[in-house]
Amino acid sequence: MKGRIIILVISLTLAGIAWVDIASKPKPLPFVVPKGWPKPQYDFSKNPLTDEGFELGRKLFYDEKLSKDSTISCASCHQQFGAFATYDHNLSHGYNNSLTTRNAPSLQNLAWQKAFMWDGGITHLDLQPLAPLTAPNEMGETIDRVIKKISRDTAYRRMFKAAFGNQPINTKLTMMALSQYMLLLVSSNSKYDQVMRGEASFNLPEKLGYEIFNQKCTGCHPPPFFTDFSYRNTGLRLDTTLNDSGRMKITRESKDSMAFKVPSLRNVALTFPYGHDGRFFSLYNVYDHYRSKMNVSKQTDSLLQKKLPISNYETGQLTAFLRTLTDSSFIKNPMFAPPGYDVTPDFMNLH
Amino acid sequence: MQKRVCKQWSQLFLVLILVMGLRQASAQTLQFVHAVGNAPLVLFDSVYYNRFGEPFVVNKFKYYISGIELTDDKQSTTSLSDKYFLINEEDSASKIITLPIKHNLRKISFLIGVDSARNVSGVQTGSLDPMNAMFWTWNSGYVFAKLEGQSEVSPAPQHSFSWHVGGFRQKENALRRITLELPPDGNLDTLRIKADLLQWFDALRPLKIAITPVCHQPGELATRLADNYARMFSVLQ
Repeated sequence: MKGRIIILVISLTLAGIAWVDIASKPKPLPFVVPKGWPKPQYDFSKNPLTDEGFELGRKLFYDEKLSKDSTISCASCHQQFGAFATYDHNLSHGYNNSLTTRNAPSLQNLAWQKAFMWDGGITHLDLQPLAPLTAPNEMGETIDRVIKKISRDTAYRRMFKAAFGNQPINTKLTMMALSQYMLLLVSSNSKYDQVMRGEASFNLPEKLGYEIFNQKCTGCHPPPFFTDFSYRNTGLRLDTTLNDSGRMKITRESKDSMAFKVPSLRNVALTFPYGHDGRFFSLYNVYDHYRSKMNVSKQTDSLLQKKLPISNYETGQLTAFLRTLTDSSFIKNPMFAPPGYDVTPDFMNLH
Repeated sequence: MQKRVCKQWSQLFLVLILVMGLRQASAQTLQFVHAVGNAPLVLFDSVYYNRFGEPFVVNKFKYYISGIELTDDKQSTTSLSDKYFLINEEDSASKIITLPIKHNLRKISFLIGVDSARNVSGVQTGSLDPMNAMFWTWNSGYVFAKLEGQSEVSPAPQHSFSWHVGGFRQKENALRRITLELPPDGNLDTLRIKADLLQWFDALRPLKIAITPVCHQPGELATRLADNYARMFSVLQ
């Protein structure tokens, strides 16, 4: 009899522990690959998405405390209404009135990217945030101090526990949480996508623009990402104040001189200015570059050795087509807004 | 019934004692001793001279040791392939590594740096945590070794010299394996390995502070420095 009671007590205790354990397990968050898109590059098995991990990542993404003087967050230069690029800024602004040397790229469809930055120097999404966090002309902080600030904060401690259990807060988990937020930044619902799915149709200029695009642009900007993720020299002249030789900085090979990653054209109407250093303020500046101003050299991409003829007539239609790549459900999705908001409030958009 | 439980407990206890005893007997400690020629390394305060007569002060000296392989007198090899140690002059505890191996070691071999797999598989933890400031964030990859200081002959800002060596890709691989034979009577509890900083300047190729005071990326200078410092280790008798 006594034995039975002991067994009962033990099994009740175990059941209680199991119940608590289940109750505190993070809730899996599905990652949906849009129909017809390839398999993502990111290995989700090493960082399974959960509600709690995503929420933690979102808080980190919008937290200015991660910068040296608590003025700059990831979202300062990656604004949702600008498709997570910096709206209307050629070069982003960093710590203590500094300027970066490049135009902040839009953050979208990152799960399919193998390498990051305009020069592809960063080889894993989890490693990417370490660069802006530590660069003296971006957030200017040390990784060590970022982790200390987070570890001291009770809200963060609670959220880390919810997302990752009792593991100690460290760089790896912090970056995994940021990745969870960024991985869900999928833009696949533009008018173009709707047309492809048979839910909408192009008007005449858009349709003509689409045909021109397929003829002249998809060599480097193929759908569904509107980039082939390659690095190409498009005949840009070296800016002697920035001295940015692009991909050559990483590979140290002269063939990569002035080669930069082909940017995605999704949401391109929102991500102006264009080019790695934001030197083109409008799409018309870009067309002018390709049709006349290019500095063609040996290193210039083989597809552009004869520049890219675009007539005045074609520029208007191309622009009409490119505007169909704007995904308003992406830039207005409340899931990506700062914690506690449906839309980024104005005071967060000071940069 | 009670007797049987007692017996089981005592057996378990015996096994525990045996395991603990074995562990104790097989512990051997590896200690890194940092020196500049024959002088001990003292950060910030001491002025040293390399063989080109360049005076210098050392402010920072750190490097990764990994892929340790230990060979005993019966030619059996134990490898600690998943262990990465960050040896840092500032932190004396980091200079001591406990080895899980019996005495009578004949050979020790290790890498200076971090293998390419760990350079490309996301954020690592422990000694490889990027917060240890041994990681290039803008061009993913570990700094394998760092030597920083000041020298009046340096043309760099603040007369500093700063050599950060790394690189895991082909043609710029700075990973180096070091193999040291141990003396036959090396039955000591602590195996002391000296790292002589003077070798950074000229063990294989002359590298003057006045000419190349800064190395902050993989490439030719980094591999030259790696070739030099790969020769800095020796066994202290």
